[in-house]
Amino acid sequence: MKWQIKENQTIQEKVFVADLSPGPALYVLPREGFNKKYAIFSTRFGSIDNCFMVKQNGEKKKVSVPDGVAHFLEHKLFDNEDGNIFDRFAEYGASPNAFTTFTHTTYLFSCTDFFEENLGLLLEFVQSPYFTEESVAKEQGIIQQEIMMYQDNPDWRVFFNLLGALYHEHPVRKDIAGDVESISRITRDVLYTCYNTFYHPANMAIFVTGDLSPDQVLKQVTDDLERRSINGSQDIERCYPGENASVNQRKVTQELSVSQPMLYMGFKDTYSYLEGRELLVRDLVSELLLEMIFSKSEPLYTRLYEEGLIDERFSAGFVAECSYGYTIMGGKTKDPDLLHQRILEGIHQIKKEGLKEESFARHRRKMQGEFLKSFNSLEFIANNFLANRFRGVDLFEIVDALERISFQDIESRLHEHLNEELHAVSIINPLD
Amino acid sequence: MKGMDGLDSLQSKKLTGNIQAHLFPTKKFKTVLITVFIQQALEKDSAAKTALLPAVLERGTSNYPTFMDLKRELEMLYGASLGSDVVKKGERQVVSFSLEVVHDRFTPGEQLFKEGLSILKSVLTDPLLDNGSFKQEYVEQEKDQLRKEIEGLINDKVSYALERCVQEMCKQERYGIYKYGDAETLKVVSPRELYSYYQELFRRSPVDVFVVGDFEPEEAFRLLEQSLVFSRSSTSSSLPFIEQNHFRKEPLQHVEKLPVNQAKLTLGYRVNTVYQDEDYPAMMFYNGILGGFPHSKLFQNVREKASLAYYAFSRLDKLKGIQLIGSGIEVDNYQKALDIIQEQVDSLKQGKITNDELENTRRGLINQLKVIADSPFALVNYFLDALVGQRRGNVEDLIGEIERVQAKDVVEAAQKVSLDTIYFLRPVNGEGGQNNS
Repeated sequence: MKWQIKENQTIQEKVFVADLSPGPALYVLPREGFNKKYAIFSTRFGSIDNCFMVKQNGEKKKVSVPDGVAHFLEHKLFDNEDGNIFDRFAEYGASPNAFTTFTHTTYLFSCTDFFEENLGLLLEFVQSPYFTEESVAKEQGIIQQEIMMYQDNPDWRVFFNLLGALYHEHPVRKDIAGDVESISRITRDVLYTCYNTFYHPANMAIFVTGDLSPDQVLKQVTDDLERRSINGSQDIERCYPGENASVNQRKVTQELSVSQPMLYMGFKDTYSYLEGRELLVRDLVSELLLEMIFSKSEPLYTRLYEEGLIDERFSAGFVAECSYGYTIMGGKTKDPDLLHQRILEGIHQIKKEGLKEESFARHRRKMQGEFLKSFNSLEFIANNFLANRFRGVDLFEIVDALERISFQDIESRLHEHLNEELHAVSIINPLD
Repeated sequence: MKGMDGLDSLQSKKLTGNIQAHLFPTKKFKTVLITVFIQQALEKDSAAKTALLPAVLERGTSNYPTFMDLKRELEMLYGASLGSDVVKKGERQVVSFSLEVVHDRFTPGEQLFKEGLSILKSVLTDPLLDNGSFKQEYVEQEKDQLRKEIEGLINDKVSYALERCVQEMCKQERYGIYKYGDAETLKVVSPRELYSYYQELFRRSPVDVFVVGDFEPEEAFRLLEQSLVFSRSSTSSSLPFIEQNHFRKEPLQHVEKLPVNQAKLTLGYRVNTVYQDEDYPAMMFYNGILGGFPHSKLFQNVREKASLAYYAFSRLDKLKGIQLIGSGIEVDNYQKALDIIQEQVDSLKQGKITNDELENTRRGLINQLKVIADSPFALVNYFLDALVGQRRGNVEDLIGEIERVQAKDVVEAAQKVSLDTIYFLRPVNGEGGQNNS
C-alpha cells in the first residue's frame, strides 16, 4: 500500500492519504510537538438521508425512515454487548464523542496516551452495531430530553424555522434529531437497515492527526480491516424529493422566553446538485461577497450597529452542500421588521452603487489569514478535511481556489444570488 | 517569582511601569497570541463599568477613530483578531485584550506581530477623546449593547440555570455578582466618569501580559515595553483572595418558573477546597468521579441507567471552592432525579469508589491537563488561573500529584463537600419542585 502525499506550501502542512477500498479512505496529518492526538471516523450519512434504495432478494426497494434516525443511530452505536463503549475509552484516558450533521455522522476521540488502543476501540465500535429493542426504548427517553433542550434554545429554533421557510420538501428543513413523534417510530430494524446501507466502509473515511507516524497508523488500520470480511461496496442511491426553486414561506414567527427578538434571513440557492471544485468556488465566492457587504469593516454593519438594530454577534455566511445551498444572516435585534427592511435596502444600494475592489482584496486577505489560523486546531483540521471530502473537495484546495477568485466573480454572484424573490425571514419574538 | 505559581515554564520580566510580561516561546502554532490581563476586585458598584470599558476602547482610537477603521487595519494584517473579554475569576473581575496574528513565516515580507502590537497599543493607551473624555455617542451605544447582553443571560437556558444557581447561592458574597454587572448601575455611568475610571483602573490595577508563539524573547520584551505605555503607579492595588467559609444549616431551595419545555435542576455545593490547597488534586478526583466524564456516576446513573436526562454533569470552580451539578429533565422527574444525584454524592462520601472509577478518572484528568499545551488560548487561561489562584508549580507538578492520589484521599475530600443550594428552573405547568414564590 502506497501513500499519496499532498503538501501545501502556504499552510506548510502535508497529509498522507491511502485508498484502502473496499475499506475506508485513510488520512494522516502529522503534527510534531502536539500532546493531543485526534482521530475521527465518519460516514456520509446525515439527517437529510431519510429516503434511499435498498436491495432485497435482488430487487430494489425504496425505503423511507423516520426523521432523526442518523442521530439516533449515532447514540446507539456507543452500546455494545457488554455495555457502554465510553467505559472502554475511559480506561485509556481518552475523550470520545460523536456528532451528526445534515450530511454526515462522525465518531471521534482525543487522547494523549494509549493512541493505538484508542484507535483500535474506535475502529471496533463503529464497525460493530448492537441494537436491541430494549436499548432503543431507553435511548428514546434521553433523546427526547435532548430535543426538549433544543426546543428551548432560541438560536436553534430561529435557524430551523428559517430552513422550514426556505425549503418545501428537502429534508434539510427537518431538525437533525427529528421530533418526539418521529423518534418514537425508530426501531431496532430501522437502525440495522440504515447501518447496513450507510456504514459500508466504502462510504466512510478516517482522519488522524497529532504527533504520529503515518506508517504505523496505516499498518494498524489495514490489519484491522483484514480481520473483517468486507464485501464489495454497492453504490448508495439517495432519493431526495424534487425541490421547487421558490421559497416555501416568506416569513415565519415563533414566540419564546427571550429578552429581545431575533431575526434570521435566508437566500436560497437554486442548484439541485453540485460537488467538487464547482461547489467550493460557489461557496468561497458567496462567503467573500457576504464579507464585503456585512462584515464589521463595512458601512452597512456600522449603520445597523449605530442604530441599535444589531449587536456584535450579527453574522452572515453561506452554506454549500451537494444537494442544497443558502445564505444565512442575522442575530438579535430590537426590531426585526425594521432590520429586515434595512438589510434589503442595504443590498439594493450595493447593487446600484457596485462593490469595491479595495474591499475585495482586503477580505480575501483576511480569509486567507483566518484559514491559516484555524490550522492551530487539530479538531478543525480533521473535521473539515472529511466534511469537505464528502462534498468532493480537498481542504488544501481552498488556498488555491481563493487565490483564483476574481472581483468579477463576486459582482455577478451579487446580482444572481441576493435575489429578493428567493429570500425568507424567521423571527423570534419574546413572550408577553 | 519562580516556583511561586504555575508560571515556571515562562520567561517573565517586570517591564517599566510595573507591568509583568510572561513569554511562552513555542514553534507549535501558526499564530502568535498576545493577551493582556487587567485584574480588579469584583464589586457591585464597578462591575458594569469594568465590563463597559473594553467595549468603548474597541470603538475607536485617535489613529483609528471608528470601528470600521480599526477593523480594516486588522483585516489587512491577514485577519488579525483583536478581542476583549470580561471574566470572573474567584472574587476578581478580569478584563482581557487578546490579539492573535498569523506568524510571519507564512506571510513573507510582513511584520504582523509588530504591526498588530501597534494596533493593540492604540486601543489600550490612545482612545478617541472628545473634550477630554470618551466620545458620548460611543459610550451610550455600548451601554445599550451591554444592557442587552446583561438582560440576554436568560436566552440560553442551560447557562442561565447555572448562573442563577450561583447568584442565589452567593447572594451575600462578591461572587454572586454577574460578570457584566447589573443594568441599574450601568444606566448612570457617564462618559466622563468612565474615562476617569479607565485612567484609574489602568494606573493601579495589576497588569499581566502573556505572549505565546514563535519569537525572539528579547525582541518581544522590547516591543511590549514600547507598546504598553500608560501612566502607572509603582505599586498595584491589592486584590481580594478567595472568600470561603459560608455555611448553611439547611440547603437553600429556590424555584423559578419560566415558559419553557425542559426543567433544569441545578445543585450548588461548597467544596471547601481551592486551587492552591494541598488536597485540590483529590477534589479534582471527587468531581471527576462524580460528574466530570461520560464514565462518571452522574452520566451513568442519571442518563444511561434512568434515561432522565440528556446532560448531567458536575463542574468544579477551583478559584471559588464551589461545585455545580447541572441537568435538564422532565419537570415531573424532579424528585427522582434529585434522589439519584444525592445517592451518587452519598456513595462517594461513603467511599464507594471502584478501582476503574479511580483509575479512569486519573487518566482522564491527566489527559485534560496535557492538552492545555496544544492551544494558545488554553495556555493563557491556565497561566491566569495560576496567577489568580496562587497555585505553586507547573502542569507537570500537578500531574505528578494526580498520579499519587489514592481512593482514601478522595473520600477524605468528599467529607468536606456540603450542599448549599438547590435551584430548580421549571416550566409554568406540571408538578415538581417546591414552590417558594
